[in-house]
Amino acid sequence: MTAAPVLEARAVEKWYGVHPAVRRVDFSLAGGEFLTLFGPNGAGKSTLLRLLSGTLRPTRGEVHLNGQPLQYGDPEWRARIGVLSHQSFLYGQLTAEENLRLYGRLYGLPDLPGRIEGRLREVGLWERRADAARGFSRGMIQRLALARTLLHDPEVVLLDEPYTGLDPHAARVLRGVLEQLKDGRRTVLLVTHNLSQGLELADRVAVQVGGRWISDEPRAAVDAARFEHVYTERVGGAR
Amino acid sequence: MSAFVRQVLAIAGKDLTLEARSRERLVSMLTFAVLVAVIFSFALDPTVRGRSIAGAMLWVTVIFAGMLGLGRSFASEREQDALLGLLLAPLDRSALFLGKFLANLLILLVTELVIFPVYALFFQLPLGRGVGGLALVVLLASVGFMALGTLFSAVAAHTRLGETMLPILLLPLLLPVVIFAASATQHLLIGRPLAEQASALRMLLAFDVIFVVVGALVFGAVVEE
Repeated sequence: MTAAPVLEARAVEKWYGVHPAVRRVDFSLAGGEFLTLFGPNGAGKSTLLRLLSGTLRPTRGEVHLNGQPLQYGDPEWRARIGVLSHQSFLYGQLTAEENLRLYGRLYGLPDLPGRIEGRLREVGLWERRADAARGFSRGMIQRLALARTLLHDPEVVLLDEPYTGLDPHAARVLRGVLEQLKDGRRTVLLVTHNLSQGLELADRVAVQVGGRWISDEPRAAVDAARFEHVYTERVGGAR
Repeated sequence: MSAFVRQVLAIAGKDLTLEARSRERLVSMLTFAVLVAVIFSFALDPTVRGRSIAGAMLWVTVIFAGMLGLGRSFASEREQDALLGLLLAPLDRSALFLGKFLANLLILLVTELVIFPVYALFFQLPLGRGVGGLALVVLLASVGFMALGTLFSAVAAHTRLGETMLPILLLPLLLPVVIFAASATQHLLIGRPLAEQASALRMLLAFDVIFVVVGALVFGAVVEE
């Protein structure tokens, strides 16, 4: 029996004038599924994430969450999605705790002090809670941004190039935190152009080139070495 | 307290905390305002009594100092794309507008608390007499100015030449507020009773209501794509 889809894109397209950013993307993600979307720079991956998060309207097609079409301006939709981008959405002059408190208030979360402590401990920043975010390293910023993303316990998590700019140690720490997202409750879509990092956690693997999905298959069916070869060939060929 | 009010206060509190830590807007607005007062005091013909044109001088200074602050109103949201973070939250766009408007208004009022005494000192203005009426004019004009200013600073933040565009977009629409504020201020400074300014006050109040309501309604369309 196939689990009911949590997140669906139905023939979603986004055009900027005559330039297509996303072309007729169709997919569905079941609850607890972790999909990694690969693609070169300019493939339209970040645009797709913005379409899925409801901050951008598709030119054509629909996005559905738990079978319901996305209603733009509906706060309920936004409360169920968490987005981690390569930009942190944080305020440098606020402390780690103040940043989370601000977002917690905007989401109207109960028991905010307890949630903030829990998230900061998870990402290993509890001891630095009173420090301004502007003094944090890139890795710490990204972990704090992840704490912000998960603060409201979203059922769908969209991750846009979360490893960008991280050194190997910081990337390893972040990977450990992302691994905890595979708890069977959360549906995760990770966008990256880094093959090894993207394959590590995925249940499903898709490739987007020139705005189109050119493949979508289970991770178990993917041989990493062959995938890398085919991906390089197809992406190179499409450029 | 309703969720909407909590969101408004969270946004206003965030902006005021950021300003209290950086003081970049207040310092630039106050420095600009005092410099303009100094320039006016030297540039004016000594035979012209400052009091006779004080209303206009004061409001020209307030408007341009305020515009300087508005230009930085979305600076913190541009860093790290924090505006997108706010838009991703289940935050009512009107609450975002009102929160930013409230913070901008408080910052402007603090600036005005310094500008008016500085002008009183330079041009021997009798601020003590009718200070209540003057405060009412300042408050009403500042509300309209900041409501429109908050909306257009969001428009300008989305354009490539944002800080250049802001005065070009804002000043023409702000003209009625400036005219009524300068006229009422001038009359109060020369000792005319507040009751004579009732129509100017009513017009300022009408502009406040229009600008705040329109700002709250259209802000979402301005900040979202």
